Amino acid sequence: MSSPASQQPAAAPVGPAGTWTDPLEFAASLSRSFAETQDINATVREALGQIVKLLQVEAGAIFLLDELQDNLICRASAGPVDVTGLSVPHGSGIVGRAVAEDKIQVVEHAYQDQAFFAEADRKTGFVTRSILCAPMSVGHNVIGAVEVLNKQNGKPFNAEDQNLLRVMAASSALAISNARMADRLVAQERLQREVELASDIQRHLLPTEDDESSPICGLLRPIQEVSGDFYDHFELPDGTIAFAIGDVSGKGLNASLLMAKTASLFRCLGKTVRDPARLMSILNREICETVSHGMFVTMISGLYDPATGHLRFANAGHLPPLLRRPNQRSIEMPADSPPLGILPASKYDTEEVDLDGAQFVLCTDGVTEFRFGEEELGTEGLDMLIDTARGKPIAQRLNAVVEELQRAGWRSRDDLTLLAIDDAMAARRWEQHAESERASPESSDFLFGLSFPADPKRLRLIRPAIRAAAEACGFDQNETEDVLLAAGEAIENIIVHAYENRRGEIALAVHRMPDGLMLRIRDFAPNVDPAKIQPRKLEDVRPGGLGTHFIRAVMDDASFIPLPDGEGNLLELVKRKR
Amino acid sequence: MAVTSITEQSGRTVIALSGEIDMEEAPTVRRTLLDCLKQKRDILVDLSQVTYIDSSGIASLIEGLQTARKQKNDLALVSVSQRARRVLELARLDKVFTLHDDLATALAVTKS
Repeated sequence: MSSPASQQPAAAPVGPAGTWTDPLEFAASLSRSFAETQDINATVREALGQIVKLLQVEAGAIFLLDELQDNLICRASAGPVDVTGLSVPHGSGIVGRAVAEDKIQVVEHAYQDQAFFAEADRKTGFVTRSILCAPMSVGHNVIGAVEVLNKQNGKPFNAEDQNLLRVMAASSALAISNARMADRLVAQERLQREVELASDIQRHLLPTEDDESSPICGLLRPIQEVSGDFYDHFELPDGTIAFAIGDVSGKGLNASLLMAKTASLFRCLGKTVRDPARLMSILNREICETVSHGMFVTMISGLYDPATGHLRFANAGHLPPLLRRPNQRSIEMPADSPPLGILPASKYDTEEVDLDGAQFVLCTDGVTEFRFGEEELGTEGLDMLIDTARGKPIAQRLNAVVEELQRAGWRSRDDLTLLAIDDAMAARRWEQHAESERASPESSDFLFGLSFPADPKRLRLIRPAIRAAAEACGFDQNETEDVLLAAGEAIENIIVHAYENRRGEIALAVHRMPDGLMLRIRDFAPNVDPAKIQPRKLEDVRPGGLGTHFIRAVMDDASFIPLPDGEGNLLELVKRKR
Repeated sequence: MAVTSITEQSGRTVIALSGEIDMEEAPTVRRTLLDCLKQKRDILVDLSQVTYIDSSGIASLIEGLQTARKQKNDLALVSVSQRARRVLELARLDKVFTLHDDLATALAVTKS
C-alpha cells in the first residue's frame, strides 16, 4: 500500500511517516467543505471517509446525538455495510459509553465486551473484531462519537491510532459544530428577514402623512422592528375623519399581530359604524373571540367633523385625551371603560366635545413614560413640548416633540405613538373652501346639513326643515310639498332597503341652486354586493316601487353619485323652478 | 294622531285621518282599516285633514281596498285634501279608488 499522504489532498493531516501534521487544517478543510455544500451530512461523510482512510480500517461510523440528546443516530457510515440511520440509545453500546464517559474506548475483542451491540453484526453479516471509538466534543459539550472497526492488517489498535482518532474526532466535532452554528445563523437571518417584512407590512398599515394641510396627523416610532402600537385616520365620504390610536399589551410579534388585526378591523368597521361606542363594542367582542395569552388592547377611536369641529370618541382603557384650548389650561378627558379583549360584555360610552379651534392630542404610554433619569415626561411634559414648534402644521409639531426628547437624551423602553387633531387648521381650510365656493357663481349654496338615525319617527322632524328650504328657494306650496314627498320617499327607501330596518345613520345636505334646490341624501349601509358599488339607476333600488315612481315624477333629476370608498349610497335629487 | 275618529253612519264605517301619513303612521292606518273591515261594513275614509301622505300611507289604503273588495265590501275616499289628491294622481290611483267630494254625497250613494 502506498503512503496515505500521497492519496490525501493538500489538507492532509498525515505526514509520510503516518503521523498527523495539522489537525486544525483538517477541521478547516471540513469547514470549507461545509461552506461550499451547506450540508452537514456531506461534511460528516467526508470527515468519516478521511478517518477510515487514514486509520486503514474495514469500517467506520459517525454517530451524533439527536436534538433531545436521547439517542445517537448514525449520520455517516463507511465499509461493507451501510448503517446510516441506525439509532443507539444514549449510554448503551460502545458508542454510547464513549459519549457518556467522554472518553476514548479501545475494545480488542468486541464479543468479550458486554456493552458490545452484536445485533448489528447479526443483521449485516459483518464480523466485528476490534473497536476504537472516540467521543466528539467541543469544549465540554459532547455531540457524538466516531467509531472505527477492525484494522485492515488485523492488528489491534495501538496508541498512535488512539491519538490519531482522538484528534480527528475533535477536529470533526469542531467542523460539525461550526456547520450547525452556520445553519442556525441562516435560520436566524431568515427569521430576521421575515420580521423585517412584517415590519414593512406594519408600516403600510399606517396612514401616509403626506398632506401638511390636514388637520389630523400621527406618528409612530417603534423601538423594535415590529410594534404593538398603532394609529389610523381616514376621511369618510362626507368629509368626517375617522381616527384611532391603540396600544397592544406586550411586545414583539404576538403584540404586532394583534395590532394588525385591531387596525384592520378598525379600518373596515370605521367606514360604516358611525357611533364610536358601538364600534368599540363590536371590536371588543371580535377581539375577545380570538385573543389569547391574556393580551388586550387599549384604544381610543372617534369621528371628527372638520366642518363643524365636532368630535365624538370612545375610550377603551387608554390614556385620556389631552384637550388643548388656546390660552387655557390643557385638560385631560378621562374615561373608565375597560380595554378591548378582556370581557365580551364590556360597555363603552361615546363622549362628545366641540373642539372650537382646540387641539385634541392622543398618545400611547411610551410617550408619557419617556424617561430622563428618574423623571417621567408625563402628560404635562407632553403638553409643553407640543408648543416647541408653535404655529407650525401639526405634523411638524409632533416631529418636534420627538426630536426634542431625543436631543435631551430621554430614553424610551416602549413604542412611541402620537396622534393629534388641530381644529384651528381645519377652520382655516374650511374658510378657504367657503371662499372658493363663493367665488364660483355656478356653484350651489349650502343651506344646511342634518344627520339622523334611520328611523321612520325622524321623518316628521326633518320635513319642516326641508319645507322651509324649498320655500326659501322660491318654490310654491305645491312644489314645496312635492320636494317633501320625494325626500320622504328617498329616506324611507334607505330605511327599508339600504338598512333593512336595522340601525343606521342618514345624512342630508340641502343646497340652494341658482335655478332651484338640490338635496343630497347619504346612507352608510355596507355594500355586500360589489356590483352595487357602481352608480345605479333609481329603479334598481326598489323595482317598481311607488316611492321611486313618486321621486321621478316630482323631481327633475334623481341620480346616485358614485362614492370613492364604495360604502353606502349618495342620492342627489334636484328640483328646478319652472 | 293619524286616525282622529271612527264612527258609524248609515251602516258604513267612517274613518277620519289627519296630519302626516308617512312610514311612521302608516302601520296604524293599516291596522285600523283591517280591524274595521272585520265588521263586514263598507268603509269611507275621510282625507280632508291629511296634510301629507306618501307611498307608505297609500300602500295602507290599497291594502284596505283589496281586503274590502275580497269580502265584497267597498272602501271609498271622502273629501280628499289637495295634497292627498296630488299623490293619488301621481300614483294613478285616483281612478282605482272611489272618490267622493264630501261625506253627505258619499252617504247618499245607494249601496250597490
